[in-house]
Amino acid sequence: MYHYTEHDKAFVQARVDEFSDQVARYEQGKLDEDEFKQLRLRNGLYYQRHAYMLRVAIPYGVLSADQLHQLGHIADTYDKGYGHFTTRQNIQYNWPELQDVPKILQDLADVDMHAIQTSGNCIRNTTTDPLAGAVADEIEDPRPWCELIRQWSTLHPEFNWLPRKFKIAVTGSKNDRAAVQVHDIGLRLVKNENDETGFEVLVGGGLGRTPHIGSVINSFLPSADLLTYLNAILRVYNQYGRRDNLYKARIKILVNAMGIGAFKDAVETEWANSKHEDDSFTTEQIDALKAQFPSAPAIDDVAITEPREIHSNPLFNQWYQSNTREHRDPGRRIVFVSLKSADAPAGDATGAQMQAVAKIAAQYSESEIRTTHEQNLVLPHVKISQLYELWRALGKQKLATANIGKLSDMIVCPGLDFCSLANAGTHTIYDQINTRFDDIDYQHELGDISIKISGCMNACGHHHVGDIGILGVEKGGVEWYQLTLGGHAGNKAAIGKRLGKAIPKEGVADAIEKILATFIEYRSEEENFNTTFERIGVEPFKEHVYAIAA
Amino acid sequence: MPLLRNNEIIENDPWTFFDDEQELHSDWDYAIVTAARFLQLASDGEQLPDGVRVAPDDDVHLLKPYISQLKLICISFPVYTDGRGYSHARLVRQRFGYKGELRAVGDIREDHISFMQRSGINAFDCISMPDLTLLKQLITRFEHTYQPSYPLSKLG
Ligand code: SF4
Repeated sequence: MYHYTEHDKAFVQARVDEFSDQVARYEQGKLDEDEFKQLRLRNGLYYQRHAYMLRVAIPYGVLSADQLHQLGHIADTYDKGYGHFTTRQNIQYNWPELQDVPKILQDLADVDMHAIQTSGNCIRNTTTDPLAGAVADEIEDPRPWCELIRQWSTLHPEFNWLPRKFKIAVTGSKNDRAAVQVHDIGLRLVKNENDETGFEVLVGGGLGRTPHIGSVINSFLPSADLLTYLNAILRVYNQYGRRDNLYKARIKILVNAMGIGAFKDAVETEWANSKHEDDSFTTEQIDALKAQFPSAPAIDDVAITEPREIHSNPLFNQWYQSNTREHRDPGRRIVFVSLKSADAPAGDATGAQMQAVAKIAAQYSESEIRTTHEQNLVLPHVKISQLYELWRALGKQKLATANIGKLSDMIVCPGLDFCSLANAGTHTIYDQINTRFDDIDYQHELGDISIKISGCMNACGHHHVGDIGILGVEKGGVEWYQLTLGGHAGNKAAIGKRLGKAIPKEGVADAIEKILATFIEYRSEEENFNTTFERIGVEPFKEHVYAIAA
Repeated sequence: MPLLRNNEIIENDPWTFFDDEQELHSDWDYAIVTAARFLQLASDGEQLPDGVRVAPDDDVHLLKPYISQLKLICISFPVYTDGRGYSHARLVRQRFGYKGELRAVGDIREDHISFMQRSGINAFDCISMPDLTLLKQLITRFEHTYQPSYPLSKLG
């Protein structure tokens, strides 16, 4: 993974010093509330429901064991002993005190981390495939490109005050696990007919109030032109994106208003001028970044293709089937660590759990951990011969729930508990579903299915792209839930279809039960939910859920 | 409002801004007008003032033909959270090759000046008297940045 240079270290240290001074000036009354707010947001610090919340950047979801250990230390020292992993591969702390924040940032800087640009109307943390560098289906490892984008976008003088927040996602694989079609800019590594590497560039995707699937603005951008092209898109957006209405300020609205053709013309015109004058990078620079992401050492013992214990231990086998994936090295597996147990909110981990996973990663996964968009952790490089030991170690930390991709592996936004914009307590719904469907064998029978829950229209829980999307709405002071079906975030990205009128809070698990019953009735063989849904559409589900009891 | 240039407070700024209703007096050398008025005067074939003020939603490209004759370009930031001026500044400085004074006007505060400088702005009409010690610290804090900055051009 990427190791900070002296420049990076000095930079992050300067940022910590700068923010410490800003906090001091704010406390002395020398910075007004409003300006301090803008400055703290660009250091990841929100103020929510009478308390601060700090969002720490995990660049493209990659952590070293030391870094995760430190995140656990921060949870224990400055928070209530836990942290929350987000859908953008970052981590949030919900209870820091303002005067501790400079200390937290210092602790982060000590392990080459920061909270820069994790909020505010600027370029946010770039996200990518959590399995990057470990899967066989990759054209190229996207992480060096993500690091290049991280550096280019960090305190970019021109793009720190955009109309709205701006999110970039990169995938290096044909199987999109980075949801590039629902980002402001999505980048797909591709090869052209001459076997040269470039990017397919998508623009204007996004969820929120008005979900859009991104449009292709360039089907093959030579990789050497990446930064100048991003610069041109950002400049057009910075100049022409709407600033009069918060809800119409994302780039998707601009692309939609202009039409992708006119938007592309504007970008290409700008690019024709600026590609020679703007910041770019040299082959040496990108090669040096690539050298920082070597493959995991090859395993000599290729004879072991699966762990012996799967035949003797059914629980281990169940976990092996659902929580591990093929690695490009046949001697290794990719392991998912589920943060979706019925005991804690989705995506939460205690300080002790983080430190335990750090230790496990050091021992079994080349000291590397990834965070996922689904709010789980990944140990990317585990030797097959050590899987059983690892499973036992995870089990001791209550981190071996065998539910990856299954019904209880829900994405849940913070909701009423922590978010001032929420209409609904998303965690109550999470608990309701967990209680109703607590039979893990039943979940395995259902196959892969995604439930995504957002507490309001801002869609942080990505409900639009869940097989079952659940959106909290408020009517007359009461919480209701709007269900959508058939959304999808991967290659065939699709926005879910509305099931019908909103459902009262107590009725959500009932409705899901009926949806699942319909699915099972129509399912052929081992079909996954989305395949069945594509075949039969929303009607049969609607009829069943809204049928008047006879 | 206090004018800062090259980290010094400038006491006697000779320039005056004329809004679109105000009649221009004869001292053309130090008059600043809006970009809209400037372009109108240009298309009417009138004599042109030496200074212009660019608002966030102006199309800065339209000023390109006049760049070499301008002595002062003001980039207006009515609120510091509106970042369009940063793009305007870079275009003026870098693409159009403007060498004269590029002045930020409006809601200009200490903590944003280093970003403005890096976009090519070299004078700042601040909302209140800047704390020069603080400012020095703010603009020298980052020895290394990830993007090239636009060298401050010498004042003509
Ligand atoms: S979806 Fe709404 S309630 Fe949930 S975190 Fe986002 S803004 Fe808050």
